[in-house]
Amino acid sequence: MSDKQSVVRRSTFPVDGDTWDSIAAREFPQEDPATMASQLQSWNMHVFMRPAAATGSPREGNPILPSDVIFLEPPLAG
Amino acid sequence: MYDLVIKNGMVIDGTGLPAYQADVAVQAGLIAKIGRIQESAAQLIDAQGKAVAPGFIDPHTHFDAQLLWDGAAKPALAHGITTIVPGNCSLSLAPLKEKHRMKLVGMFNQIEEMPYKAFAEGVEWNWETFDEYVERIKQGLAINVAPLVGHSLLRLWVMEDESMQRTATDLELEQMQTLLRQCLDAGAIGLSTSFVDMDETLQPVPSRYADMRELRALCSVLSEYGRILQIVPEFYDVDLNIARVDQLAELSLEYGIPTTFSPLFVNADNSDAVQRVMARVDEQFARGARVWPQVQTRPIDISFSFAVPSLLFIRLPSWYQIMRFGTHDDIMAAFADTARRPALVAEAASMEALWPQLVLRQVNSDANQSLVGKTLGEIAELRQTTPVEAMIELSLEEDLDAHFLAADMGHNDDPAVSALLDHPRVHVGASDGGAHILSFSTYGDTGYLLGHFVRDTQSLGLEAAVKKITADTAAIWGIEDRGQLQPGFVADISVFDPNTIDRGPEYYTQDVPGDGSRYVRDSIGVNTVIVGGAVAWSQQDGYTDSARGQVLPGSRT
Repeated sequence: MSDKQSVVRRSTFPVDGDTWDSIAAREFPQEDPATMASQLQSWNMHVFMRPAAATGSPREGNPILPSDVIFLEPPLAG
Repeated sequence: MYDLVIKNGMVIDGTGLPAYQADVAVQAGLIAKIGRIQESAAQLIDAQGKAVAPGFIDPHTHFDAQLLWDGAAKPALAHGITTIVPGNCSLSLAPLKEKHRMKLVGMFNQIEEMPYKAFAEGVEWNWETFDEYVERIKQGLAINVAPLVGHSLLRLWVMEDESMQRTATDLELEQMQTLLRQCLDAGAIGLSTSFVDMDETLQPVPSRYADMRELRALCSVLSEYGRILQIVPEFYDVDLNIARVDQLAELSLEYGIPTTFSPLFVNADNSDAVQRVMARVDEQFARGARVWPQVQTRPIDISFSFAVPSLLFIRLPSWYQIMRFGTHDDIMAAFADTARRPALVAEAASMEALWPQLVLRQVNSDANQSLVGKTLGEIAELRQTTPVEAMIELSLEEDLDAHFLAADMGHNDDPAVSALLDHPRVHVGASDGGAHILSFSTYGDTGYLLGHFVRDTQSLGLEAAVKKITADTAAIWGIEDRGQLQPGFVADISVFDPNTIDRGPEYYTQDVPGDGSRYVRDSIGVNTVIVGGAVAWSQQDGYTDSARGQVLPGSRT
């Protein structure tokens, strides 16, 4: 058995109620939250471009699904 | 005296070892002896010049509904398939409360393109629990069925409408765990989930509202039973696919369970991406995880008419909106509206390389019969118009019953596909048997494997290819006592001619409840298919009424 692994694009999964802001605050505590929320959106177009949850939904206005992969960095250089 | 003896065949036992000449004796549903058999038998099959192999196992199907009106999962059985796995992609037909039936039909219609009328006229809704569904399909079962339970169904049962709104509470998690145990006790082989699918209103299916906490809770139940988790990853994006491989690896290692994902497509323009996914799979196996990619053998062909929604148009919102939500008259009116047409044509420009290549494959009117077989590019030239305009005009002229074929849409780079199929971690699957019935035929992938990749291009050895669709699949899925020709194993056997086996041409046939039609392919070169020791189909006599199919792994009680 080998634990050696190549480097892949860093990602995480949302926790209950997560928004771009809450993920930014948790994953990048030393950085400016607004800047990092914007960065997260640009790294996760598969989520950002999705229609947000409808009015009246517990996730109203939030496109993030609890099962989403959220990337924490841009695509790695080839 | 044996029940059945297959004489003079080349035995390919499923282990990958070289084929050898031998007879196979069957007694009481089991393989009794392999070798030179002198004893008499109630039934004798002469397999001179034929291969005698374990019955093939198809691990990715959606025969859930068809099994309610067709216990042979036709024509899968005639292709040598003796075991199917329905319930993939988070969707099964149980457990299902009465009030959620139409919701599930909508999801099956959207995701698997199963017509509403087939459910309306072919399904007698007389079950709710998984146990009741299993009892229901056991009646007249001619093929073995190893059913997955769909994650979306568990959520819908426990959380009802809120299954498509939020994560589960601790109490709901416990209820889902209990429900999953009941399904596994009743005979489910594992759990399926999806990270990509949408329902009939284009909202994410319930499984996509589950967080990792919920997946862990469910995998802990799978762990109690040693059962498999199947997922649909975001297969169109390499980084997302790799992230899902890692997620499955963590679940596999933490709970000691096998996992599988499907599909994984390879084309000339994405072979690097697929190599990256496979490299990650290899790394995770090296850690001790079990993450089995499923790869289909056939290239992607898609047929469509505008009478029903086609996933081919999902990237063209205006077109898909009309097809998905419009009535027949709405679609006709939209196409006939010359003021509206420029916008449709403009949107279609994003797929402009496709339209001239589409082939007109079927029409009703005499006037257009001469155009059948021509491409839209050729028809456009004849009519002095554009391919998209020609497609619209033909659809209007045929009252939407003009059928078009988009051939070789992908997964068609032979060297890349064969290299992938040959990979030791790759698991042959993803046929989608029983689904997408108006878009393409999901039958004959095993014939294509053995005909195209083994015989014609010689990319794979015959024994290795048979192992991929028998013993490997049985081992990955925990299907005991099947998948090999060994004394004591259940006598699920396919007899075929390696020199001719193939999938037949795709054709359109009306055999779906509700006067529905579907695309199918007949088998070529398959001689006899035996399930549970009895002939279930033969080239000579067709389907029999043996009904020896079982639900695997079967009830624990």
